[in-house]
Amino acid sequence: MAERVEVRENVLKENDRIAGELRLALAGRGTLCLNLISSPGAGKTSILEGTLEALRRTPLRAAVLTGDIQTERDADRLKRYGFPAFQITTGGTCHLDASMVQRAMARLPAGDLDILFVENVGNLVCPASYDLGEDAKVVVLSVAEGDDKPLKYPGIFRRARLMMLHKIDLLPHTRFDRDAAIADARRVNPGIEVVETSCVAEPGLGAWTRWIEQRLSEKRQAGRPARD
Amino acid sequence: MHELSIAQSIADAAREHASQNGGRRVVRIGVRVGEISGVSVDALQFCFEMTVKNTDLDGAALDPEPVPVRYRCAACGQEFHPVEFLADCPACGATGASMVAGDELGMSFLELE
Repeated sequence: MAERVEVRENVLKENDRIAGELRLALAGRGTLCLNLISSPGAGKTSILEGTLEALRRTPLRAAVLTGDIQTERDADRLKRYGFPAFQITTGGTCHLDASMVQRAMARLPAGDLDILFVENVGNLVCPASYDLGEDAKVVVLSVAEGDDKPLKYPGIFRRARLMMLHKIDLLPHTRFDRDAAIADARRVNPGIEVVETSCVAEPGLGAWTRWIEQRLSEKRQAGRPARD
Repeated sequence: MHELSIAQSIADAAREHASQNGGRRVVRIGVRVGEISGVSVDALQFCFEMTVKNTDLDGAALDPEPVPVRYRCAACGQEFHPVEFLADCPACGATGASMVAGDELGMSFLELE
């Protein structure tokens, strides 16, 4: 006679456990961790190149872990900016999980680190399920992909704190409806924040780098010991 | 297509609970799969059968329960399945409903012999 036992837990509890360890370790170093998720070709690596270029002019210390199914190309591109950048080659897996990030973290130099960027595998579905210990998931939606993505891939827009409407300079050349894309993202996630960016033309990446600065100062406020 | 790693996580969790319950045989595993969890029930079923074949869980049935997206109206408390995620309450017309179900991916029960 079979007996039924109730089990109420997340299927990915082992991933969540490791993500919890990562989050604690990152908090201990005062590191802001951002998990960038998009379709292939939306511009994650170019955004990171532009971001690292901007960060070179600040005292902030950054590092990048970049995930791909194959090749070390992204890490090679990102190493040129003088910050540590390591590739996580998943060998077929369509997303990063917390254990992959934990292993890659061990390769980062010890010492102070202000911002850790994790560039996920290009995919709007699978990466949404995995907590990597990040402070925020950031979804990049490029104008060339079409404005229907928030309702087609609600999981990631639901879990992201920020949506980057990227390649926004292409807006006049496409039928992309910016207001509809934002409204649809907010149907799924009323609290989602939005910045508009381009790597090659106005308005540049300023709104994004300002958003990062705000998250960093928020994190430092939260990490500061309370005074009596 | 991350259902294989999800299926392996389910199998690991089932083994852990079975061993905590005196190492009994697992005959059925219930999981809740939210509509926007990003997991395909068919692919999960296929991957589960593949991952438990010729293991101690061979023959255990996976019983996935799809969970539709459900909103609860902040004004009147009505729960409803939204059309394309629109938060307009069908009962009172207020906007500002919040999602209360549909993004979960959880274990719900085990049947042990």
